[in-house]
Amino acid sequence: MYVIITYDVGEKRVYKVCKKLREYLTWTQNSVFEGQIGKGKLTQCMHELDNIIHPQHDSIYLYQVNNQNHMKKTVFGREKGFDDLFL
Amino acid sequence: MTTSISGVQVYYYSVCKRKLWLFSKGITFENEHDRVLEGKVLHERSYPYLERKEQLIDNTFKIDAVEGEYVREVKISSKMANADRMQVLYYLDQLRQRGVNKKGLISYTKERKTEEIELTPVEERKLKESLQKILDLLDQPIPPPFKRLPYCNQCAYHSFCYAREETEE
Amino acid sequence: MSDHYIFSRGRLKRKHNTIYFESGEEGQKALPVERVDNLHIFGEVDLNSKLLNLLTKYDVRLHFYNYYGFYTGTYYPRTKNVSGFTVVQQSMHYLDPKKRYYMASAFVESGVHHMLRNLRRHKEKTGSYVDTIQAERVKIPDGRTIPELMGVEGRIRQTYYRSFNEILKSDFIFTKRSKQPPADPLNALISFGNSLMYTTVLAEVYKTALDPTVSFLHEPSSKRFSLSLDVAEIFKPLIVDPLIVSLVNNRVIGKKHFEDFEGIVLLNDQGKQRFIQEWEKKLATTVRHRTLKRKVSYRMFIRLECYKMIKHFIGDEPYRPLKAWW
Repeated sequence: MYVIITYDVGEKRVYKVCKKLREYLTWTQNSVFEGQIGKGKLTQCMHELDNIIHPQHDSIYLYQVNNQNHMKKTVFGREKGFDDLFL
Repeated sequence: MTTSISGVQVYYYSVCKRKLWLFSKGITFENEHDRVLEGKVLHERSYPYLERKEQLIDNTFKIDAVEGEYVREVKISSKMANADRMQVLYYLDQLRQRGVNKKGLISYTKERKTEEIELTPVEERKLKESLQKILDLLDQPIPPPFKRLPYCNQCAYHSFCYAREETEE
Repeated sequence: MSDHYIFSRGRLKRKHNTIYFESGEEGQKALPVERVDNLHIFGEVDLNSKLLNLLTKYDVRLHFYNYYGFYTGTYYPRTKNVSGFTVVQQSMHYLDPKKRYYMASAFVESGVHHMLRNLRRHKEKTGSYVDTIQAERVKIPDGRTIPELMGVEGRIRQTYYRSFNEILKSDFIFTKRSKQPPADPLNALISFGNSLMYTTVLAEVYKTALDPTVSFLHEPSSKRFSLSLDVAEIFKPLIVDPLIVSLVNNRVIGKKHFEDFEGIVLLNDQGKQRFIQEWEKKLATTVRHRTLKRKVSYRMFIRLECYKMIKHFIGDEPYRPLKAWW
């Protein structure tokens, strides 16, 4: 499935959440990650994030589509982060 | 030859004999399977307050947690309730052989229910029979033939068992 | 899971428990370690043991290619799916000449099936080649020895490549297969495609209990993971060759994508990247599988072939190679 994850967390935890997400998905904008991921890996990722955040103060939104073709993405302005095939 | 049996093997015996055989020969598919990963996370999340989590007994088998007079095991759903029972019975029997008498408690998280398990003489006999059959099965030179089961779709071995060429022309 | 191809000069490193690529011009870029399957290194890249340990933990393979784009080797994490039982059974099928021939001829038979499948798409132009190949093909099951089988395969492949002259537009002409080094653009394309095929098959074989060094058609004593060469026989005409035809005929790759180093003809970086772009698309293409009853990518078809081989070796179900039905 294809997921987009956005987060709004306390200053002290921003770095930790960002770091964790880099292990699973591609950074696309500040506080936004996206990418293709399996169900099991996603469960694992969300579990690890859950251990980082403070449930009373922080929030993480998870958007998921089963088929990437069912999602249309348009970028205005500069595309900041994308999944590179070539480096 | 008698090699030590693991709880997973007892569990697989009730789920699918072919899976048990393949698994025991080192032909495994579990490490990248979604459901297996989900199960792993479930184990980590469950009972974090239990001090004695994941006990490795005599280097042969692992049990989830011991709490008071109970050996605890968590499962996502009760679809394989019979296999779950056998697995816990096996742990109880192993502990009893080491002089520790416990009862078992299986928690099904999705359904929010628990099942208590006791090693009665009847259960014990059933277990012993199964263990003998497991050893016999592992002595077989070739795997038990493929048999379609209602839960094949969810199995980590699905692609392996179902990958074949249709008869041509 | 994804593959990445590194063409820039730079440094691959472990940072924040994931993979980073640092290069002068573009700064640094993080790659999600949980998702990366293979890294292909074409550029000049530095790396250290800290990175290799991370790759081992997450089961990521590194494939290296030299300046010319030829495959030079793979960093292969400590193998995880060990089944001594399977390796012993696989080896028994090598040691018994009949059993070995059965496997070897299955690979050739499947490869030829896919070659003919390609040629039949251009029936009007390739009819005579198809007939020649058919006449040779019937000898596959009769052969006694592997060298005889290799001979049959070699003659079929000669005819097959010659027919490319009928299929390919523009000025890509096949005269003869030259591997090391490729002497013309078409040979350069075939060599590059076959390198990618080899590493892709190796990556899939690695994920199973098979031993990549015990092979049947190719001698296991060769310097390579020769089981990958065996399995690649099935998939080269299914994946690489149609890709080459489409790249040339749709003018995605043209004369300007090649360089001539004193008689050695090679794809330049832009040419390689165009090839890889389409290669990745092709591997991700799915077909509905008849017995799995779900969509399966070309890449997964390679893995399924490994599964069928394991089943054959352990005495479960006789191996029948893939013959594309779609």
